[in-house]
Amino acid sequence: MGKSGGRITNEIRTLRFHRGEMTQQELADRIGVTRQTVNAIEGNKYSPSLEVAFRIARVFDVSLERVFRYSEPENSGKQRASAEDQAAGPIPLGTRPSARTE
Amino acid sequence: MGISFQEKSLWLSMVALIVSFGLYLIAVLPARSDFVLPSQAVLFALVVVLVVITQIAGNVVITIIDRRTETDERDRLIELMGARNGGYVLATGVFFALCTALVTPGNFAFTHLLLGFWVLAQLTEIGSQLFLYRRGA
Repeated sequence: MGKSGGRITNEIRTLRFHRGEMTQQELADRIGVTRQTVNAIEGNKYSPSLEVAFRIARVFDVSLERVFRYSEPENSGKQRASAEDQAAGPIPLGTRPSARTE
Repeated sequence: MGISFQEKSLWLSMVALIVSFGLYLIAVLPARSDFVLPSQAVLFALVVVLVVITQIAGNVVITIIDRRTETDERDRLIELMGARNGGYVLATGVFFALCTALVTPGNFAFTHLLLGFWVLAQLTEIGSQLFLYRRGA
């Protein structure tokens, strides 16, 4: 249901397999959602809330990044360039807008 | 992927609405009166009661069969998206009904245009939700 153009994929199917072929219903019961929602998440058709994402990671005892991956959209070159500019270093003193309210 | 409790309940609502209000509109719309007749008002009340009873009885049966009636964040999101789509149709209907009220005598056309759009809004809301559930959203 995301509109940003980026894509969130996940490794839930693989993680379930490594947990003794845990069923979707078992996972759903443990994270407090319906089996249909787990199925939709697994099929990359629904991006869960941060809370549910953390609960999934906790069930498998792995980090969030191990479960979910976010890939940028193809035409996000400008966004990446902007992010690289920000990461390049701090803005020199004097060019920084003043936050003081006198 | 099986049909969830929510989807079954939505299908029930959709069928109940189409059958009840379909029969009502087929019975009432051929009338050429300017005002809503008392018999039509009684028929409308009966249709509303029929819809309510059908929904309650149907949902009880579905609950007994399904046993899983819990909802989660995705259900709530789908419900909101459906309500938004239904809201657009209802707002359009209110606008057209008000325009109709200005140019037609009596309350028959206004009332039934409003009722028709309300039913259409409900069907849009339910249809949107069913579409989102089927798409897996």
